[in-house]
Amino acid sequence: MKGIFSWLFPSPPSCPFCGRSRGNFFCCDCCWEELSSWRRDLHPCSLCGRLLPLGEGKLCPFCEKAPPPFIARAAGPYRGLLKELIWEFKYRGRRSLAFPLSQLLGQVLFRDLKGYRPDLLVPVPLSSQRLKVRSFNQAELLASSLALSLGLPVEPLLLRVKDTPPLVDLSPRTRKQLVQGAFRVEGKRRLEGRKILLIDDVFTTGATVGACAEALLLSGAAEVIVLTLATGIINSPPSFL
Amino acid sequence: MGLTHNPGLDWTFWKRRGKREMLLLFPALPLSLAYFIFQELKDKGEFSLPPGVKLPLEWRGGQQAAAPLPFSPLEPSQVRRQISGRILFLEEVQKALMESRAVGAPLEDVLHWLYLQGEIDFRPGVGYDSQGRPICYRCGQNSSIVLGECGACGFVCPSCESCLSLGPSRGCRPLYIFPALEGLTPREEELCLPQLNFALTPAQEDAYGEAKEFVSQGKEGECLLWAACGAGKTEVAYGAIAEALKQGKKVLYACPRREVVKEMEGRMASAWPGLKVVALYGGSPQKFREGDLILATAHQALRFYQKFHLVVLDEADAFPLSADPMLHYALRRARKPGGQILWLTATPSEEMRHMVRRNSLKVIYLPARPHGHPLPVPEFIIPFWGGRLGEGSIPSAVLRCLKEAELAGAQVMIFVPSVAQVSCMERWFLAQIPSGFWGNPWVRGCHAGHPDREEVIGAFRERRFFALITTTLLERGVTIPHVYILVLFAHEEKIFDTNTLVQIAGRAGRHRDYPQGKVWFYGYKVTPSMAEAQGQIREFNRLARQRGYLK
Ligand SMILES: [Zn+2]
Ligand SMILES: [Zn+2]
Ligand SMILES: [Zn+2]
Ligand SMILES: [Zn+2]
Repeated sequence: MKGIFSWLFPSPPSCPFCGRSRGNFFCCDCCWEELSSWRRDLHPCSLCGRLLPLGEGKLCPFCEKAPPPFIARAAGPYRGLLKELIWEFKYRGRRSLAFPLSQLLGQVLFRDLKGYRPDLLVPVPLSSQRLKVRSFNQAELLASSLALSLGLPVEPLLLRVKDTPPLVDLSPRTRKQLVQGAFRVEGKRRLEGRKILLIDDVFTTGATVGACAEALLLSGAAEVIVLTLATGIINSPPSFL
Repeated sequence: MGLTHNPGLDWTFWKRRGKREMLLLFPALPLSLAYFIFQELKDKGEFSLPPGVKLPLEWRGGQQAAAPLPFSPLEPSQVRRQISGRILFLEEVQKALMESRAVGAPLEDVLHWLYLQGEIDFRPGVGYDSQGRPICYRCGQNSSIVLGECGACGFVCPSCESCLSLGPSRGCRPLYIFPALEGLTPREEELCLPQLNFALTPAQEDAYGEAKEFVSQGKEGECLLWAACGAGKTEVAYGAIAEALKQGKKVLYACPRREVVKEMEGRMASAWPGLKVVALYGGSPQKFREGDLILATAHQALRFYQKFHLVVLDEADAFPLSADPMLHYALRRARKPGGQILWLTATPSEEMRHMVRRNSLKVIYLPARPHGHPLPVPEFIIPFWGGRLGEGSIPSAVLRCLKEAELAGAQVMIFVPSVAQVSCMERWFLAQIPSGFWGNPWVRGCHAGHPDREEVIGAFRERRFFALITTTLLERGVTIPHVYILVLFAHEEKIFDTNTLVQIAGRAGRHRDYPQGKVWFYGYKVTPSMAEAQGQIREFNRLARQRGYLK
């Protein structure tokens, strides 16, 4: 009996981020408003996707100096609600956030990359030690959820050849040295001419995704576009440039 | 028959007891599956795998020489003595031990040895029930279990998201059960009498006596202390606690929020200066200490296992926790078999009220506030025509309420059903009456997620403006001495259920200097919830008058 009633009067779906009721969109208006409010005063660097104050040039100082071998975009800056959600997902292990968070990535694809359609989705791999502790690779979960809703294939092509220590608190220079050659493409796979969407959770200096992109391009990929949940904000040109 | 992570250890154990052969099931399984098969074999003598799981399994027999133990023979009993009445994951056992001593030996092996000796038990964090459905053994819930490829065990592994805030509970993480060790050693009565620096009111005294009797007679397993909002129910619970302590019983005092636990720690420590009062909460310096009286958040109770003779849950004006199945489960599991639970609340769940009506739950009433004035009874305002909120001019009935409050020198808290309504109503009131009452602006809105929440509430507390519009979700801590209450859209039963309305009405007339507040429910009809809330408050007043508690 109860079953029939819940079928006749389905309870309104709840927002995966805050639990309040929502409409047809995958999250509620409040959360969506908060997650996209950065667009009022920031815009992404057209190459690395890090966020610059509106009105500043198209390129960030880093990319002006040395353009990266990829284009990257993110769903927003690493702060506020987005930061909390990533923390809850990645460190607390709330796996059920994978789908709604992947929908944020889907929105970026749609809004900032004009509906770009890659051939293949590839997640940034996690070291086996950290996989043991965390029990899942957050990038892989995101990639497979996004692939599912886009109807595209996902393959964990990349292998971590050397383990790197956690990169938090290291300078960009050291990070780059540490991850150099840390990844390679599985087997002798050739990726001739394929357009690849590389997925990760947070873009910090771009060292990790940069090393991944290099490995993919070496295997023949035509282009690599990077999609992450969060990225950094560049407020003013750093003095050392 | 048993489960093992290290068959060599089992060999050694059974060899020493003269066993010659051991049968092992291959291949090695994740704990959740192994435990399921183990249970099936124990109950039925045979097993089938949970639906959807296919694995080629085979039994292999054999013999092996006994190996030396990887730890000192004293280690297991030392570990055992440290932990009593707990249900913990390996890391938590480690932390518990580290709070008192260093851990050297491979802990998993030491615990397994205790398991083989039958002193402790273990199971997966998340396993499968007898129908093969996943269930979390830490929190008892099955409503938010996620299945997924697990990097820790390499299998598809269930993990629970209901109790995630206490760390992950997964199919491959063993959860160890340490039965309680303590017996009853009566304490001196002197030590157990609470020292209060004020006298109990007659209403409190009566309820105190009844609570004491609940424990001393020990006839009922559970009891509800149903108190009017602001009637001082904590002091009444002291009656039950003092009696339990005297008998040498273990007592857990659980509160919904960390802040309340911290506050209660001070109050209890001064009430029982001769006893060891320990508070456990997320972020407390120690989480596994022993004490005579343990205070904990209801979440921390998930880490106890049949330890307490008396569990007291103080809802402390929060929304009814008794409706949360996980915390219910936690408190009932923390209690010893045959132990007692005392629920302290102003707003018992529907289920509990029903049990009280059927006389199947013992209840102690505390119907009067310390100042001895009756509770403000909510008045219903139902406009027959017009009277719409948010459009046109303000209905005269609403205006009359505001005027009456202003005349009495009171502030007004206006409750609305949703966050969106807060700003909507704020704009409407200000558009209709730009500067009618004191304060500039005279009315402001605020809700739990409001950016300037602290500032707005602070200003309202300091009486810098007349009226505050808010939702039910605003924290309970906001108490204003002289305040009238106006609930708009009170007919929205999904938000304004009986308990919520009782809580809201309970904010008026609390203060000794302003014991006569006013409460209005403004709605387009009278809902059963509105009627029941009013009925409950009237009933309390009637009871208080009848027992002679009112001035
Ligand atoms: Zn939301
Ligand atoms: Zn850039
Ligand atoms: Zn759980
Ligand atoms: Zn696992």
